[in-house]
Amino acid sequence: MENSPIMEHVDGITPRHRRVRPLPYVLLAPAVVALGLMLGYPIVRLFTLALQEFGLKQQFGAAAKWVGFDNFRAILRDAEFWSVLRRTLLFCAVNVALTMVLGMAIALLLQRLGSKMRLLTMLGLMLAWSMPALTSTVIWQWIFDTQYGIANWALGRQGQSWLSNPLTFYFVATIIVVWMGIPFVAFTLYAGLTQIPEEMMEAAAIDGARPWQRFRDIVVPALKPILLILTSLSVLWDFRVFTQVYVLQRAGGITRDTNLLGVYAYRISIGANQFDKGAAVAVVMVMITVLMTVFYLRSMTRQEEL
Amino acid sequence: MTATLERVERTVEPITPRPHRRRRNVLPNALGLMVFLVAAFPVYWMVLTSFRRGVDIQKATPQFIPSPGTLGNYRKVFHRDFFWTAVKNSLTVTLLVLVLSLFIAFLAAVSVSRFRFRGRRAFVIAILLVQMVPAEALIISLFRILDGWQLINTILGLTLTYLAFVLPFTIWTLRGFVANVPKELEEASMIDGSSRFRAFMTITLPLVAPGLVATGVFAFIQAWNEFIFALVIMNRPENQTLPVWLQAFNEGAKGTDWGGVMAGSTLMAIPVVIFFLLVQRRVASGLTAGAVKG
Amino acid sequence: MRSIKLAAGLATLTMVALSACGSDSTSSSATNAPAPAATTAAAPAAAETTVAPVPADTTPAPIVGGTGEGGELRLWLNGGDTPDDFVKFAIAEFNKKHPDVKVTFERQQWTGIVEKLTTALSSSDSPDVIELGNTQAQAFEAAGALKDLTADKAKLGGDDLLQSLVEAGTYDGKFYGVPYYAGARVVLYRKDLFAKSGLAIPTTIDEMLADGEKLKADNASTPNFSGMYLPGKNWFAALPFIWVNGGDIAVQDGSSWKGMLSSDKSVAGLTEFQKFIQETSGAPKDGDDSKDYIAFCNGEVGMMPAPGWKPGQIINKDDGCPAMEANIGAFAMPGLTAGTTSPAFLGGSNLAISGKSKNPDLANELLQILVSKDYQKQFADQGTIPALKSLLGGITGSDAATAQAKAAANSRFVPSSENWAAVEASNVLPDMLVAISGGADVKAEAAKADAAIEGLLNG
Repeated sequence: MENSPIMEHVDGITPRHRRVRPLPYVLLAPAVVALGLMLGYPIVRLFTLALQEFGLKQQFGAAAKWVGFDNFRAILRDAEFWSVLRRTLLFCAVNVALTMVLGMAIALLLQRLGSKMRLLTMLGLMLAWSMPALTSTVIWQWIFDTQYGIANWALGRQGQSWLSNPLTFYFVATIIVVWMGIPFVAFTLYAGLTQIPEEMMEAAAIDGARPWQRFRDIVVPALKPILLILTSLSVLWDFRVFTQVYVLQRAGGITRDTNLLGVYAYRISIGANQFDKGAAVAVVMVMITVLMTVFYLRSMTRQEEL
Repeated sequence: MTATLERVERTVEPITPRPHRRRRNVLPNALGLMVFLVAAFPVYWMVLTSFRRGVDIQKATPQFIPSPGTLGNYRKVFHRDFFWTAVKNSLTVTLLVLVLSLFIAFLAAVSVSRFRFRGRRAFVIAILLVQMVPAEALIISLFRILDGWQLINTILGLTLTYLAFVLPFTIWTLRGFVANVPKELEEASMIDGSSRFRAFMTITLPLVAPGLVATGVFAFIQAWNEFIFALVIMNRPENQTLPVWLQAFNEGAKGTDWGGVMAGSTLMAIPVVIFFLLVQRRVASGLTAGAVKG
Repeated sequence: MRSIKLAAGLATLTMVALSACGSDSTSSSATNAPAPAATTAAAPAAAETTVAPVPADTTPAPIVGGTGEGGELRLWLNGGDTPDDFVKFAIAEFNKKHPDVKVTFERQQWTGIVEKLTTALSSSDSPDVIELGNTQAQAFEAAGALKDLTADKAKLGGDDLLQSLVEAGTYDGKFYGVPYYAGARVVLYRKDLFAKSGLAIPTTIDEMLADGEKLKADNASTPNFSGMYLPGKNWFAALPFIWVNGGDIAVQDGSSWKGMLSSDKSVAGLTEFQKFIQETSGAPKDGDDSKDYIAFCNGEVGMMPAPGWKPGQIINKDDGCPAMEANIGAFAMPGLTAGTTSPAFLGGSNLAISGKSKNPDLANELLQILVSKDYQKQFADQGTIPALKSLLGGITGSDAATAQAKAAANSRFVPSSENWAAVEASNVLPDMLVAISGGADVKAEAAKADAAIEGLLNG
């Protein structure tokens, strides 16, 4: 963001501020302490677990043997891992795109609504967001239930399973994930939209800019930081979707053909007590997410926004 | 993005649509209604189910009103052991997480978006990286350190855990909002003689209200609905939080009392909705307060 | 403005609701107050316990006994299988001898129990006596999480214990998990539909198939009707078909496991199972058995394989159909020839003492009470299979209870391996059965499953 006057000012207030100032560190201290205390050890341990033999025996006191990269080798040689990864990447891409596009559309819509209608719409989104993931997934599963689902009832195709075919399985899973993901994205983007000065839009409108041009030239650049943040978060979340897929797999479908990475990792670590391989999968997942966001990280660094 | 100064003053405007807009609002209103319906339908179905007799929950021909309805599911919820303790535990943990996370995250967000200092970039990258680690993979290690500190089965232990998972997100998101607040406003107030820190608290804080609301709702919902950490960290029945308590209606292989689950879930949604209604005004008008000074 | 009013209104409404319920349930708000000697008080609320998805554990106070000066014990039991009265009886017995030891009963839920045990058993604040599902027990025994009880086996039921549960409780020749109770799978049927079609209880599997086909034909007007209700994921239902034909899931060959599902005998059983699905079942081909009682109540089921407690769920007042009670019959699944039964899957629970228990000797004494005849008799009386063989004859009451006792006499279990949990976690068997239900080639699917199982058991 070369346009960020804010950042330029940061250092440039007055030269005497260039000495080491304690204020930023003081402000940061509580966060660093809380995160370091709680996550420092578990994250370090995650990486060591991935290099050890660590199952239930070790959890209950047996000495953990160092095995180098054996766990990673085992995972990467597992043909299932690769098909799960491929599916997960595709699923993640589709879900993030849908969540962001629909979330943006709803945010713009919210801006155009009168106050009552806006409150109603936001309330609907809020209700969706407030539902515990387990409950909402169960409700959606009922909606698409083979024999008692209202989707089949409405379409007159009672008795046909939505979950037995991986494609329709993912269709249902996508609906749930996107439905659950939109409220946060829409709210945050709407909050961002209210920060854009009305004058800019009006000035552009007077200049004859079409709605699409105004969106492209004013809204998107103004919201770019928030859009990037939301996209990166959505990528992180949708990449390791768990509850929705897990619950649907219990209700129907073939597990082997519908596993995504989050569920796959869970089945290995908690399900099969292979905490070592589970940790290795988690580390691989972190590395893939880094790869996916490296473009974003680099552009942040380059543009000095970071 | 260059016109940063004057933007603050007029944003109040869209809250009260001018009358001539009304007629053109048919399409947006229709779309808004559609969004509401799609978003709320599963919620409606949950509430509906919570008033249904068990036998009516799964029927080949769906009914859209609870007839004959029952309050029995709610009675079960209120009478089940440990419901009120779970309510108390959940509220305590959630409010603690909400207040602590917003406060700590705001300070951190100001720090990273208003200052350049050694370690800043490392911190921001770390915040993003931390969010890439699947939380489930950390359960066993986290449990171990909490056990070492004698924090298993304590509100503090669970609060710290949630804080650790909510903070990276809240910092990450608030950063964007703080960056969008024109810095000149703070400077103006500093010229009036305020200290830098005071300027942050009196000028910047109110101006990022929309961001605080969005992230606050997020933090609230995360802490309120979280299941797996609450399950292992609070392993005594009197320490359960609501999502864990709710699982008592799920007898695993022996089937689930869905009426009870849905009644419990409906009750659980009420505080979230109340919280949202209390704060939602700030999403739209968060800038009003600061605009006076600007 | 509107929004504030709305919010305020909602808040007030909730307050009213909350306070109304608060006053209405003063008894249940006493839940948190420790009740020192609530041990002998018979809880009228818990007395009406039926085996239903909602266990009626609405007793107002936590079940705690003893003063605590002589030590403390935490007792974990899972789900609703043990009614509160049983526990109160056990704690009262224990406190007769140790009035100074405080026993706290903490009812845990089956959902997430493995995660809980994995963490809690390794913590400094470990529960002392715990309950494990019999398919989960081996993993914790192998891990060294539990106390070795071999020396006390005689005092803990000894030779009178159910053999198959003893196997689940034994690892590497040592005894860790004491059998607690069991449940065998039986076949439930609609007495009225059988009468209408002029059928009698089948004596062989072939007869059962013919009956299923006839039921389906005679009830063709009911949508989704199943002569035999077999959703694809119900792997417990498939096991007897495999076993009765001489097949198995896997067998131990020296130190490694060999998958046996693609053996000729297993394939014969699975093919028979597939035939049942194709010709008699109207259940979802990729569904599980969680909705079977609803299908039964909706009149869509002629026969269905189910655990012994299933009738209780079918007739539960809440989401079942009490009126159906008179029509529910049960029999042990017949074998290949008349007069025999097919081996049934035996589910159940084991009790164990945490390796981290601070009072293992006291825990041991509590355990002895939980497998004592007086205590176990309570299970037999409610139609659950007790852990003691000498009490099996005492199971009376419903058709299902007697059928269950008969089925338990010829029952089998999954491979006794510490890695079995991994097989269940990756849904190998349901995946295979869903494919077979959909008409896939039995041998090929079984071979795939064998490969997966070998990988997991030997992994």
